Amino acid sequence: MNPMPSSTLAQQQQALLQALLVRPGTTNADAAETLLLDFLDTRSTQAGRGLATYQANGHALAERSLLAAYPVIAALIGGDHFAPLARDVWHRHPPQCGDLAQWGDALPGFLLGNAQLDDAPYLSDVAQAEWALHRAAGAPDAEPDWPSFARLGQEDPQGLALTLAPGTAVIASPYPVATLITAHVFGTPSLAEAAQRLREGQGENALVWRQGLRPRIAGIAPASAQLVQALLAGADLPQALDAACSITDPLEAFDFSAWLTAAVTDGLVIGVHGLRSPRPTTLEKNSP
Amino acid sequence: MSGTPNPAPLTPSVGIGWRHPHYAALLEQQPALGFIEVHSENFFAPGGAALAVLREGREHYPVSLHGVGLSLGSSVGIDPWHLDQLDRLVQTIDPVRVSDHASFASGNRAHAADLLPVPMSHAALDAMCANVGRVQDHLRRPIAVENLSAYVQWRDAEMEEPDFLNTLAQRTGCQLLVDVNNIYVNALNAQLRGETEDPLDQCRQWIDAIAPAHVAELHLAGHVHCGDIVIDDHGSRVVDAVWALYRRAVQRFGAVPTLIEWDTDVPEVGVLLDEAERARAAARQALAPEALAA
Repeated sequence: MNPMPSSTLAQQQQALLQALLVRPGTTNADAAETLLLDFLDTRSTQAGRGLATYQANGHALAERSLLAAYPVIAALIGGDHFAPLARDVWHRHPPQCGDLAQWGDALPGFLLGNAQLDDAPYLSDVAQAEWALHRAAGAPDAEPDWPSFARLGQEDPQGLALTLAPGTAVIASPYPVATLITAHVFGTPSLAEAAQRLREGQGENALVWRQGLRPRIAGIAPASAQLVQALLAGADLPQALDAACSITDPLEAFDFSAWLTAAVTDGLVIGVHGLRSPRPTTLEKNSP
Repeated sequence: MSGTPNPAPLTPSVGIGWRHPHYAALLEQQPALGFIEVHSENFFAPGGAALAVLREGREHYPVSLHGVGLSLGSSVGIDPWHLDQLDRLVQTIDPVRVSDHASFASGNRAHAADLLPVPMSHAALDAMCANVGRVQDHLRRPIAVENLSAYVQWRDAEMEEPDFLNTLAQRTGCQLLVDVNNIYVNALNAQLRGETEDPLDQCRQWIDAIAPAHVAELHLAGHVHCGDIVIDDHGSRVVDAVWALYRRAVQRFGAVPTLIEWDTDVPEVGVLLDEAERARAAARQALAPEALAA
């Protein structure tokens, strides 16, 4: 007997999706499974086992996908806690598309709102920086335009901007997020040193960019962070420098020449381009 | 008489799934392979190291782009974003084949990231035909659609799976990708459900029901017995029963390209190359005149 003779393909598929994605152990999960079983051939007990197989596969995918994007969060939380965390994110914020590399952006917000992690308030900012690294890894490749740097000496800087490397982002945090990440990934500085900076409440502006094919992260000075954020917001060079100088100690003028040399060497700045209409900079000052 | 010597049996183009643990080894060793296969979605990023590695692999081998996320059987249609990413990758890599599964994963607001079975119904067939047609129109080329291992069964099937796939191919012009291991896994699970006493015979009937003209690729992989269910985990060598079915498939479908898949507990690349050689030998054996005459 078919209890739902008028069921449509959409209803069948939605029932299976709901049974897989609703949080297990909830009344909603029981209701979803009951609804699904009306659509399935349940003459054998294998239907329940099959559903559990799909659920387990989803959980394994969740853990593997989050681990790929958030290796430092996984290390900080520990494997025993990371797996259930991944499952929880999977059910609360399921994937929206068929590319799992796109899934996981909800983790920083999820960590922020997790009462069980109140004693580790830095996790959300670390996750935000790791997601920026993850995005930078797959950002469109860019070809450095070295001849374009000549424009800096030949043209009015108004209307000129620096071309930043793919995936460039700045995460301003009251915690030493760049240090925590480099300590775990590269061992520099040591984990003990990173922990010390965390205890001392040292904030950082974490700069994320891609040098060639390699995603990179580093803590940068507030003035540099202002400069990069202004450029990311579409400012031209004079506007970006104004932003940098606005928070620089008057006794220590921002050395743009030294900054630019280092930025080009590190692959952060890969060219100079003209802007049709520089955007007004309305950035708030950073105070990590 | 001075008759023409018997032609040597054809050998199919055999490839292996190229996964992260083997990126460097394959590029360094460059073993003789007919093609390499990758999961399309792993290279959707518009730039970066992964795509650079695939481009390098493409310089040495034909590439088969095998998708796991198009959700060809979905009632809500094809995600245009997904299709755009695939189109860009196809244009970048110029693959020898593009394929995905006869499954669904997406609904209105979520994607389950799995290969979920569609009912063997006319409504599901209509939906899949429309989706496959849209993909092929967008990519301006035919795709191949693979049968899958299904761990739940919908009520009241209106047709058998081979009929579903044959009709899909006839109506859309798509090709079929026959995963021999999936056929066997489904038959073993049918045996566990008490629906068949002879899984191999069920598989032979399945293969014999597929129209050969549509078949563009065969897949081989391992599976795992979990007591109450058999799972297609791609984590071990191809078993003897699947090799026997592969020989039958080659006899029916011809020397079509064949893939060795290995996705969990991935061993050294040499193990995959050994399986690839076994596939070539099995195909040669199956296509030898004395075997065809038997």
